[in-house]
Amino acid sequence: MKKKSVENIISLSNNLRWQIGDDFHDHLAEGIYADASEIVNNAVQTDNQKKQFRLDSKIDKIVTSKIWGFPIMFLILGLILWITIIGANYPSSILANLFLENIHPALKSFASNIGMPWWLDGFLIDGVYMAVAWVIAVMLPPMAIFFPLFTLLEDFGYLPRVAFNLDYLFKKSGAHGKQALTMSMGFGCNAAGVVATRIIDSPRERLIAIITNNFSLCNGRWPTQILIATIFIGAVVPSSLSGLASVSAVIGIAILGIFFMFFSSWALSKTVLKGEVSTFNLELPPYRPPRFWKTVYTSLIDRTLIVLWRAIIFAAPAGAAIWLISNINIGDQSIAAWIINSLDGFGFLLGLNGVILLAYIVAIPANEIVIPTILMLTVLVTGIAGGDGAGVMFELDSANETANILKAGGWTLLTAVNVMLFSLLHNPCSTTIYTIYKETKSVKWTLLASILPLIMGFIVTFLVAQIWRIII
Amino acid sequence: MNSYSPTYALLIFFILSILIFLLFRPKRGWYWVIKNNLKINEKTVTEDVLKYLYHNEISGNEVNIISLTAVLKFSDRLVVDVVKKMTIKELIKFDGNVLSLTEAGRDYALRIVRVHRLWEKYLAEKTGYDKVEWHDRAELMEHRLSHKETDLLATQLGNPLYDPHGDPIPTNQGEIANLKGAALSSLAVNSVGRITHIEDKPDIIYKQIYAENIHIGSQIRVIENNQKRVVFYAEGEDFVLAPIVAANITVDILEKDVIEEENKSRLSSLKINELANIAGISKEIRGESRRRLLDLGFVKGSPIKIDLKSPLGNPKAYLIKGTSIALRNDQASKILIKKI
Repeated sequence: MKKKSVENIISLSNNLRWQIGDDFHDHLAEGIYADASEIVNNAVQTDNQKKQFRLDSKIDKIVTSKIWGFPIMFLILGLILWITIIGANYPSSILANLFLENIHPALKSFASNIGMPWWLDGFLIDGVYMAVAWVIAVMLPPMAIFFPLFTLLEDFGYLPRVAFNLDYLFKKSGAHGKQALTMSMGFGCNAAGVVATRIIDSPRERLIAIITNNFSLCNGRWPTQILIATIFIGAVVPSSLSGLASVSAVIGIAILGIFFMFFSSWALSKTVLKGEVSTFNLELPPYRPPRFWKTVYTSLIDRTLIVLWRAIIFAAPAGAAIWLISNINIGDQSIAAWIINSLDGFGFLLGLNGVILLAYIVAIPANEIVIPTILMLTVLVTGIAGGDGAGVMFELDSANETANILKAGGWTLLTAVNVMLFSLLHNPCSTTIYTIYKETKSVKWTLLASILPLIMGFIVTFLVAQIWRIII
Repeated sequence: MNSYSPTYALLIFFILSILIFLLFRPKRGWYWVIKNNLKINEKTVTEDVLKYLYHNEISGNEVNIISLTAVLKFSDRLVVDVVKKMTIKELIKFDGNVLSLTEAGRDYALRIVRVHRLWEKYLAEKTGYDKVEWHDRAELMEHRLSHKETDLLATQLGNPLYDPHGDPIPTNQGEIANLKGAALSSLAVNSVGRITHIEDKPDIIYKQIYAENIHIGSQIRVIENNQKRVVFYAEGEDFVLAPIVAANITVDILEKDVIEEENKSRLSSLKINELANIAGISKEIRGESRRRLLDLGFVKGSPIKIDLKSPLGNPKAYLIKGTSIALRNDQASKILIKKI
């Protein structure tokens, strides 16, 4: 009896479904809007809001105009990057001075006073402490400048207009205009760029933005690029042009990164990601005066400190690993030397060397410590004078001294070019990888995002090296 | 490093890349071909035979073993073998040399058609695959889903009536709605109708219709129809098709009293400073995108105008319900308006 009535209800509902057709969702939404607008008409009086809107549309006319739209955009983004790179130098050198020149020796002498064994003192102070101190000194200032500036622009309402202006270019590669913003954010920090993709509500385009964010040259890689370009690229041209040449080389690498971003966005949207849902719409909210202090505060807490904290967590074990591989000997060589020797062949094929590859392996936690690690390892394996001892990362004040060490390590112009390329095209740092996992909750996409740029890096440096050797 | 030479290294690299390309290129890569061939079994062939017979029964064509082996992409021996077994199982029967479905065979065929169309609906609503890929993906899926899974899928999709091409979906009882309407190429000049179905086979023709931006659900009026071309008017634009292409579009002739005025046009044709009211969203916007547009206020009757044009002309921002929303031109072409 009961079962029969249930069946009746089901067949009735099936019948009704056939009758109402598939438009009823639309009718429902229309009905809700009709009701809502009736309520609004009865309850809300609009009067002086019109004036506000006029100013908005005037700003909009300028920032999205054919003539001024793009120049204004490049000017603002260029200015922010410039302020960040130049402005971060001073606090960075102060921090480096404090952590590395003052606190580090103080810790060392304290350790020897209380009679700490050499291995514990080396492991903790030369390894863990150094890596953490380095990451804070190099990472904190640019992020503390870049993120608040960027967040202010966001709060003002300008960033959606950038997405609006650039959407057509991104559409061509299957991506969302808002990827322009997450990409720019990536110039500050890839991990923050990945978090910023939350603004993209279309699943496919969001994954594209996450996976390709690593092609934005982040703050941790700019100094590497600038240093190598100054030493090697600047030296090929007459000294009057060397500044210009090295700056254009660095900018060229950043633009190459944008090119790779577009290319892999296109390739991803045509292959592995084509099944993900894709929707597009972009709200252009009204402008409003940024709430300055609140913005600065939240961007420091939300973005800078969280990213910094993750970086520190990953840098500490890396520092320990770097110290250990340089100080533990197997047979007559340290572990580092063994690995470097075994990687040398592959490194040579890519126009790099074993030292550079090992540095990129142990420095996965933070791109900031790649150069110090390369210097330390080069001194370790070549046995030339310099540095502070096995497993102690260091950097030199003058580019000349750095150049001498690198050249003693067998670096040529090809090595320099390929290090610049490889610095752009390699796996994201572990902070970013962890963030990608947090955001996508998928091992598959995390793996793809980590390995794809690495494979590209291998292919590009390999091709450059072979062609270079054939031609020159 | 003795035998190293950059030229050899490059050569080896290119040979490897070509090999990887041949193995894994989309669709025709050796890896995929082998993988798909391994999956072919009697079930697949049986179901394809049933489906082919069913479609021909609907269109009233006779099928014999020669046309069957010519159409199906399996080896002739396999097809003949399977047909033999199917007659024993009483899924099909021979009248002379004409093959036809038995009652049981028709039931089975309907079940396959049901899975195929439901899966196309699923692809349209819940994934981002391109229209032109739906058919091929559904072809693979229809052999895999069980009875239970199919019903579950139907429930999750809200027991849809039509697939995204406008074909009716059989119910789990095996009932199927009749497709109303006639081929566009057979309509008289000045007849008014609504597009109810766009055939997705063959691929080449479907891609042409797709490229013309013709939408299911559009009201049309035939302007010209002869051996050379079919011209019709819809949503403020004229469309010109070859008769062979037009034959794949089904149009339901409308009664006088349900014909809507012809002053509708597409949002993409709105110019700066023009005002309009939304007249509806095309059936071609589905799933998540459709719900998002409705949420944003793109409902019948809402006033709309262009707020901003981006420097490259696409997207444009529209002012609707007091907010500025940017849409791409291909989306705007699927929203209908009445200009004021």
